[in-house]
Amino acid sequence: MFNEYQPFPATIEKIKDETYDTKTFTLRFADDDVQTDFAYRQGQFMEVSVLGYGEVPISITSSPSRKGVLELCIRAAGKVTRQIHTLQPQDILHLRGPYGNTFPYEELKGKNIYFITGGIGLAPVRSLMNLVFDHKSEFGKVKVLYGARTPQDICFREELEDWKKINDTEVFLTVDRPCDDWCGCTGVITELWKETEITAENAVAVVCGPPIMIKFVAMKLNQSGFTDRDIIITLERHMKCGIGKCGHCNCGDKFICTDGPVFSYDEVKKMPLKEYIF
Amino acid sequence: MIKILEKSKIPDLLKAVAEMRDVYFPRRFAGGDVLFDRLPDDPQEREQALAEMALGDENLVIPPKDIFFPQLESLFSFTEGAIDKQQSQSKPKLLLGIKPCDLKGLELNYEFFKHKFEDVYYLSKAEHTLCIVIGCLTPPRPKECFCTSAGTGPFASEGFDLQLIENGGRYLAEIGSPRGEEFVKEQAMYFSDSTPYDVQAAREIKAAAADKVQLRVLYKRALEIMKQDDFKAEWIYKKISDKCLHCGACCYVCPTCTCFDVYDNADEHSGSRLRTWDSCVFSGYTREASGHNPRGDLMLRTARRVDHKLKYFHVSTRAAGCVGCGRCLASCPVHIGISHFIQEITERKSAI
Repeated sequence: MFNEYQPFPATIEKIKDETYDTKTFTLRFADDDVQTDFAYRQGQFMEVSVLGYGEVPISITSSPSRKGVLELCIRAAGKVTRQIHTLQPQDILHLRGPYGNTFPYEELKGKNIYFITGGIGLAPVRSLMNLVFDHKSEFGKVKVLYGARTPQDICFREELEDWKKINDTEVFLTVDRPCDDWCGCTGVITELWKETEITAENAVAVVCGPPIMIKFVAMKLNQSGFTDRDIIITLERHMKCGIGKCGHCNCGDKFICTDGPVFSYDEVKKMPLKEYIF
Repeated sequence: MIKILEKSKIPDLLKAVAEMRDVYFPRRFAGGDVLFDRLPDDPQEREQALAEMALGDENLVIPPKDIFFPQLESLFSFTEGAIDKQQSQSKPKLLLGIKPCDLKGLELNYEFFKHKFEDVYYLSKAEHTLCIVIGCLTPPRPKECFCTSAGTGPFASEGFDLQLIENGGRYLAEIGSPRGEEFVKEQAMYFSDSTPYDVQAAREIKAAAADKVQLRVLYKRALEIMKQDDFKAEWIYKKISDKCLHCGACCYVCPTCTCFDVYDNADEHSGSRLRTWDSCVFSGYTREASGHNPRGDLMLRTARRVDHKLKYFHVSTRAAGCVGCGRCLASCPVHIGISHFIQEITERKSAI
């Protein structure tokens, strides 16, 4: 019987500073056979260990279209992630996974896509975004709406610029609290509805961010004509085991780790909503 | 089929079985508590343990779930940043003296740990286990047991390998599975044949035992009510959370509560990854590193526990998650139990 709880060592190949508290780690399994057999899909997550400190669920931010690359974008938020931030290239992390369901991909073909994310919520969605951009001709127009608390909190800065250069792709940023040299949009993410037209026709919205953001973005999308099924949300919970056993991420009849983390908004609405966003 | 097992033969039977299996049975410890314990290997300790065997209608405060799902368990150990090679597995087990409600609990736990991803730690301990159930002649928790309502007792109707029915100085041993039949054949010298009178006696004893279970609740009706889309019981959850001390006792003593926490215990050089029982009524249970806590509100946590047992359990197992043992009520410092919740929603009886 395969032991799902036992992680495999992986070498940190590269570390990129995204913000003052967020870094992107590029990883490769130490064992070549493990690396060769490893495959993931857009929207899935890994369980990441620092032995002696513990284990945390981290969504995969790289795209499955870029073969052999595994990137995890990690914010130093708790005991384990703070320890991960002290590591250097060539240090070892322990990984198991991938776990969870995936963003729909085939269903999105031919459609206009709105990627609406807040803060580090960009990380899991970026996996799907780059997958879409790598096959852009098969999709319609793409609009990226991204909100951060301050200009210092913006992740994936270069890519946000690069994405603007892609055909039929627009990127809109806003920050809750600007600094002196910020000349972009200010305010919560729904302020971006004033910057660009959001139309539901032949469109799907992919949303990730803090619960309060999800709540207001979903409301706004509904007002713009999006049905609940056309709003795709990736949820976050403290998924301790990743395989539907420990119970920590249960919500109604679902386990976020095995039934999710990707749900349509109408699925989310069937969950005990008070727990989640309302 | 029913065989006869004299009570006096049980110690020798267990000693014979211990060659091939790890044997567990209820044992009365010095403080008076009856808990499941493993038959020791040391001959002297073994005699002591057998002398303290307690197979009657004992109130087992802790269900036998910890035999397969210990309260604290190491998943693996590590040294200098690398995971150590794992040890080999234990012998198959024989559990003697499992109560029918707890048998149901073990069945549900097995299904849950096998559902989708297989949990190697649970399944490797649980597989190939031989279960000898002992029915209850009188309910061990007279005011709290409601097994007849939950359909789990006081005698098991299925799922056991052998079921013992106490009849004077001997047990009527009902065979419930091919594995049980095989066991009786292997250990033929400890069993004798029954007569038609014994079969009749077994039926009568079972019926009399069922009559003695006093607490009756509308269990099936509760499940039906909770399945309805418009089911709302916030007023009951509110009542529960007004009293609940969120101590977690109900989860620890519940035969089907299997939530666990995972953490590392280590010094600079070595350590282990441990899992330990957790409780969904604890405020930190769902708290995330960001500080966000989806069930920070106690009312949502009490709702979660009840809903999971009676409404959502069926997703990964064949049945609802309450086996009617009444331990939650018996152990609750403020006297709340699942049976109370059922009475509230089915009979509008103010039980909490």
